[in-house]
Amino acid sequence: MPNILEARDLAKYFGGVRALDGVTISVPERSIVGLIGPNGSGKTTLFNVVTGFYEPTRGEVLLKNNSGSMERIDGLNPNEVFLKGVVRTFQVPRLFTSLTVLENVLVTPPVQIGEKVLDAPFKSRWEKQERELAKKAVGLLKKFGMEKYVYSRITELSVAHIKLLETIRGLMTSAKLYLLDEPAAGVDYGVARELFNYIRGLREEGLTFLIVEHRLDVLMDYVDYVYVLHNGKLLSEGKPSEVVNDPKVIEAYIGG
Amino acid sequence: MLPQVLHRAYLRCPKMPQVSWDVLSSLTVMVVHYSFLYMIFAMPLTLSYRTTKVINFVHSNFITYGAYVAILLNGLYGNRNMLLAMASAFAIVGGIAVLNNIAVFEPLSRRGAKPVALMISSMGLWIFYKYLLYTIIDLATHFSRVNFVSYPKIVYEWIPSVSLDSVRLSSSFIATSLSAAAMIVGLYVLLEKTNLGRAMRAVSDNPILSEISGIPKRTVINLTWLIAGGIAGVGGVLWTSYAGAITPEAGDSMILQVFTVGFIGGLTSLTRTCIGAVLIASIENYGITLLNQFFRVETSYKPFLTFVTLITTLIVSPPLGAGGGLPYRLFRRVGKSA
Amino acid sequence: MPEFDLIGFLVQWLTVFGLYSILAITLNLEAGFAGLTNFGKVVFYGIGAYVGATLTTYLTLYLNNVDPFECPPYSIDGIVKLIELGGKSPSLSIGLLALSLLAAFIAAGSVGFLLTYPILRVGPAFVGFTLLSFGELMRIFLRHYEPVGGSKGLAAIPRPFGWVGDPRLSSFIFLLLVLGLVALTYIAMNKLTNSPMGRMLRAVRDDEIAALCLGKHVPGIKALTLFIGSGFSGMAGALMAYYFTSVNPDMFVPAVTFNVWAMVILGGMGNFTGSIIGVALFTLMDRLLAFITPALGVAVISPDYIRWMFVGLLIVVVLLFMPKGLLAERPLKTPALDEARKLLVEGGGGA
Repeated sequence: MPNILEARDLAKYFGGVRALDGVTISVPERSIVGLIGPNGSGKTTLFNVVTGFYEPTRGEVLLKNNSGSMERIDGLNPNEVFLKGVVRTFQVPRLFTSLTVLENVLVTPPVQIGEKVLDAPFKSRWEKQERELAKKAVGLLKKFGMEKYVYSRITELSVAHIKLLETIRGLMTSAKLYLLDEPAAGVDYGVARELFNYIRGLREEGLTFLIVEHRLDVLMDYVDYVYVLHNGKLLSEGKPSEVVNDPKVIEAYIGG
Repeated sequence: MLPQVLHRAYLRCPKMPQVSWDVLSSLTVMVVHYSFLYMIFAMPLTLSYRTTKVINFVHSNFITYGAYVAILLNGLYGNRNMLLAMASAFAIVGGIAVLNNIAVFEPLSRRGAKPVALMISSMGLWIFYKYLLYTIIDLATHFSRVNFVSYPKIVYEWIPSVSLDSVRLSSSFIATSLSAAAMIVGLYVLLEKTNLGRAMRAVSDNPILSEISGIPKRTVINLTWLIAGGIAGVGGVLWTSYAGAITPEAGDSMILQVFTVGFIGGLTSLTRTCIGAVLIASIENYGITLLNQFFRVETSYKPFLTFVTLITTLIVSPPLGAGGGLPYRLFRRVGKSA
Repeated sequence: MPEFDLIGFLVQWLTVFGLYSILAITLNLEAGFAGLTNFGKVVFYGIGAYVGATLTTYLTLYLNNVDPFECPPYSIDGIVKLIELGGKSPSLSIGLLALSLLAAFIAAGSVGFLLTYPILRVGPAFVGFTLLSFGELMRIFLRHYEPVGGSKGLAAIPRPFGWVGDPRLSSFIFLLLVLGLVALTYIAMNKLTNSPMGRMLRAVRDDEIAALCLGKHVPGIKALTLFIGSGFSGMAGALMAYYFTSVNPDMFVPAVTFNVWAMVILGGMGNFTGSIIGVALFTLMDRLLAFITPALGVAVISPDYIRWMFVGLLIVVVLLFMPKGLLAERPLKTPALDEARKLLVEGGGGA
């Protein structure tokens, strides 16, 4: 499979701190790639650089665009990265707490007529699109077994549903690549496996995942390939079974 | 508007005037004086924000109340002892700050209110305290027949003034610089050498892990308010030894400068707040003197210089860590990382 | 006690109520919907007032063949001329009114739009503070800028309906104009926010970083919101200039902003009807205070200070004990709800 995302010699320094120091990774299309490492090893910084939160100090990020060629996306702002098809979730889920589940999903579609100030006051101009989007949103929620919560507020949901919703939200667009930051944090083992089963199902539909996760017991059963970061550098990479047995990785985790 | 002002000024001023050495040296003394004052005003703002995460508009009242503690002691009881005034101001203003926290900020945060709600509540408190002071002053003026609404500079006893060559250092200058030095040393010792200081830093760096220090978070936050309010109150006392006339608007009239100094420090770094104090004092005083001498710009336009500095700070080096912030770059360089 | 003039009282109260309503509704759009902590509301109100006042006075003189640069409207001669010439011709008065409203909208809106540039990326504290201090700078500038009358400001602004003759009738027509603009603002804001745009604004308010990561151009949304809010505030300002027939820098103190904030917080953030109720309560209280104060005679404690302490306390108390205000935010009404209900019922899912 060709790569959908490549990071080449990516580095991000904060003053003297080298949070990320020359990391090269590639994510093939339709794969689930894990990104692991001890706390402070640069995983979240990598996510932040790829999704446009930071400009890299050095290196480049390339994303496969619709015409099939690789295009540099480093330096774009987060909203622009999203519009290129990269969806990000957060360690602490960021949902819109005053909106209902349905509305949270409906915020996502990028080109909404009713979001334009000159069209918004005139319902007739956007009603048709709004109904279509609602149909799609309800369909998605049903598919993931969340139809009971369509009108619920975010505060009424369980942690697992919140994590799921953050992922579903991205499916309203033509997202290609998901960056998930600790999807299994804060949920019990069974729910974590359920979440990863959903992820595997979405992969079958053509999506690609890059996942930061501490719960290696769950992660390792689902990923195709794993990168291990340590002190901002790539420590090891390979298939899950290879990485788990790499003495450098074991030492880094134990020496922490 | 500015080109017109500049143009008119230019017409009135055909030859470049000379800035004499005397003017320059006394101006420099003023800049140093203001630098110290701004440090004393703004460092507690940074201190309180980074530990409590409340953007505190009441800070302006803290300074005014500190000044009025000194004024009421002087006007009603004839006090001219600066240390007594400072101790009273520290206790009263620090107490008000703790009271605000217990009555308003703590219940709001406990209920999970957003930082914006905390800020708006501090704005409400600001209005309340401002007019409470007006009321107190009206009462004091009514019963004592002393005009407290505009009070002249207080001359404190025991504090010498020093003359070095042609430069005269007023007693206010001496008091301010000593206080600033004491505050900086005190804060350094507190934050670096004591358990409480370590706890304060832990709360600001990582609120979740902060319980480890052994001092309950509540206590740490209350003590932070006491210290922050207290220092700002002491700053108000120092203001009474310097300003020509003190009014209930004293703190409000300096709020732009004080907050800008804090913003330059990103509301997190005390060192950068100190640098900000020197920067704003210099830009304001040297800047307006230059503009006045060469272009006859009126000195009341002084706050414009501070505002320009504020805007420049926000555009060039936005304090994104503090009080929210959007990871959005106005000047982006796609695929051109250095 | 003087004889109570109910009609006069109502006309006065409702006019002030109308002006503040426009400010409160737009502040609610900015703060309650988009999460923009606009502590500089008075700036845009003031810009509108000064634009309206300047245009009307200068043009009234100029179009009546008086050179406004020889005999400026802030001079004694100018004021005399304005009283003599102003409000005589219906077409001129209405034309100037329309021009002023339009110019006030554009000027105040543009300043709001431009002011968002430095504050797009920083947190609400910096936004609030920058706008607050900009207001103070505007006052310093106005006090020293002679063409708009310096610290004395502009006076004898011709009333737009002065040509009607009967002063009571003309102020009644003016009231209708103000209330018309309130209705326009209220309906426009309700329509604007009960839409995908309102949903997007609330999303930005709830979590601007998440909204940015979902592809929303958050800085642009904020700039646009401040443009709209400020533009309407500018129109309210222009109407205020006509109502008081004078403007001066001290009318535009930060206190005006806090008044509006208190009204919006009391009424309920995110609910425009609540804002209107908040405004009604506050303006009524002020009108009553204005009646009661003279009856109190000479008091040691100024009722004005008590009023302001009350405003400050009210903000704190509402935030503490009634954070949603009198009327809580209502869920959005878009056809999506209706569509979802249909699907869930047809599909057999529970709702």
